[in-house]
Amino acid sequence: MMNDRSLVQIAFYAALIAALGLLPKVAIPVMGGVPITAQTLGVMLAGVMLGPVRGALAVLLFLFLVAVGAPLLAGGRGGLGVFASPSVGFLIGWPIGAFVAGLIMQTTGTLRVLPAAAIAASVGGIGIVYLIGIPGVAFMADLPLVSAAIGSAAYIPGDLIKVAITAVVAETVARGLPRALLSRA
Amino acid sequence: MISLYLPGQSWLHRCSVRLKLFSLAVASLLIFPISDPRLLGVVLIVVVALYGSLGPQGLRQLKALKPLASLVAIIFLLHVVAGSWLEGVTAVLRLVAMVLLANLVSITTRMDDMMEAVMTLFAPLKVFGMSPRKPALAVTLVLRFAPVLLSVYSSLREAYQARCGKRTSWRLMAPFLLQSLAMSENVAEALSARGGADGLRQDKA
Amino acid sequence: MAFWTRKSKDTKSKEEAIAADFDASGKPYAVLQNVSLELEGRTVLQDISLSLQEARVGIVGLNGSGKSSLVRLLNGLRLPTGGEVRMFGVSTEAMRAELPRYVGFVFQNPDHQAIFPTVEEEIAFGLTQLGFARAEARDQALAFLVRHHCGHLAEKPFADLSEGQKQLICLLAVLVMKPKLLILDEPMSSLDGLATRRIERKLAELDQKIVMISHDLGLLRNFDRVLWVGDGKIYMDGAPGDVLPAYEADLEQRAARDPEGLQP
Repeated sequence: MMNDRSLVQIAFYAALIAALGLLPKVAIPVMGGVPITAQTLGVMLAGVMLGPVRGALAVLLFLFLVAVGAPLLAGGRGGLGVFASPSVGFLIGWPIGAFVAGLIMQTTGTLRVLPAAAIAASVGGIGIVYLIGIPGVAFMADLPLVSAAIGSAAYIPGDLIKVAITAVVAETVARGLPRALLSRA
Repeated sequence: MISLYLPGQSWLHRCSVRLKLFSLAVASLLIFPISDPRLLGVVLIVVVALYGSLGPQGLRQLKALKPLASLVAIIFLLHVVAGSWLEGVTAVLRLVAMVLLANLVSITTRMDDMMEAVMTLFAPLKVFGMSPRKPALAVTLVLRFAPVLLSVYSSLREAYQARCGKRTSWRLMAPFLLQSLAMSENVAEALSARGGADGLRQDKA
Repeated sequence: MAFWTRKSKDTKSKEEAIAADFDASGKPYAVLQNVSLELEGRTVLQDISLSLQEARVGIVGLNGSGKSSLVRLLNGLRLPTGGEVRMFGVSTEAMRAELPRYVGFVFQNPDHQAIFPTVEEEIAFGLTQLGFARAEARDQALAFLVRHHCGHLAEKPFADLSEGQKQLICLLAVLVMKPKLLILDEPMSSLDGLATRRIERKLAELDQKIVMISHDLGLLRNFDRVLWVGDGKIYMDGAPGDVLPAYEADLEQRAARDPEGLQP
């Protein structure tokens, strides 16, 4: 049963993903001219902090708002057009990635938070997201998989930075407000 | 709340949400398999004409393409590298047409109406014993939290700048999350204090 | 699930019992019997027995003394880990889900209480909680705001209000649910002198019973009873004329004895 606290937490992380997209250049260095949105950081955090189900629901809630017309994706994008663009695969990958990240946090219950969160965010937030995102680009843009993969690879360094931030933040929250780490509660 | 919606009274504004969504789905399914660039060119012209039917401020909405520009350029380049610039043109035309068409529905539909149309999809939640009110409440909470999060972040940044001189740092992320999480716990408590997400008059099964 | 079902089934009779019991008046609305509360392994409240029937009850105590936890026992936000809390004659454990209907709660920081982006939605929420349809809740909320001279605020974003207006709206958002008891957890701590006096006047004219935590002792001088909570116990309990001076003297004494706050 979903209680009030879960509902508020889900809404909170959905808002966090939105806020991270609105922050201009959120404290993440820009790599080689590729603009890095902090939004995937929010996706990783949602999975790592909330666990699989609530994490995925938070991302879905965010995508729902985008779909109905809130320009909350980085760069002020939103609406149904986003779901017709080549990056739609990445958007579909987000909730699944958050789910996997949350699952990893849960199943590695005895592992320290820092390494567990790093693994969860890499596998869920990078592995799964690209696994779905790259075929998405290939499909939508009519490109061979390899070209789509090359085109997407430019974002990986930025995502690795986000994995590191996710791990440090999760570790800090685990010490400062342990009950907020719902994936381990 | 900011939204893509373009206030107006055009024929597209007056169309029902369901009809627009249905037509969009059908149109997308029809456009996607087209591989003749000339035909796609015609489709794009039609789509742009639809924007034109909203008047000059409708045409200005073509700006929705701007954030897509670099992505489209990369895709075109990848096609050229892969050996066929014509396929690149085809893929780009198709993408632009589909994105613009979907965006057209978004800019001519109020967010409330769109949400209501989609909310009916949540009705089956009742079967699982979950109140269909919850998604609506969740949406409201997101709209309530987003500005609060931004203000928490900006006051943290101010405090950081006052002591370190630098404008911002990734180090702010952890305190940002801790502070705003504490705030969200208070909101959860306040929600419970007024009867919780399920409301007080539940069906007494 | 079966447990939950059983609980809701006798809701009706419980509601009737509450109305009959409470409106007969004179009977205590809150009874605590040997109540203890542990939070995350820490004892917050210890063996408290208490019964409240006065119209205006004040609570004083230092931060961390347990007073916030004590009032959260009264509206079911917390359940006791030992003993029993009975509100209007019914254990809070049995009627936890129904309690917000009878016990309104105003929090210290209005920014933490408001759930909705606009004033009207914030007020209407309480009514939808009681089972009103959205449209009717909206109409009633607007009428309620007008009745309380706040009609002009209805469409405003909550974030744009002054601190005093925010707290007033939070109070109205609770009052619209017509609770029988109103709990306020340091409601004035973020307000200036003028806003404080306005809220104080508003509270004075309410029919509801009130239990209020305050660091501003002046607000409690005209109350019927004051509880002094310290170290998870009721340290002193009596008329404000007795308790408040004793509490103030204790604060003076402790500050003089330990100016830097080095002792625990």
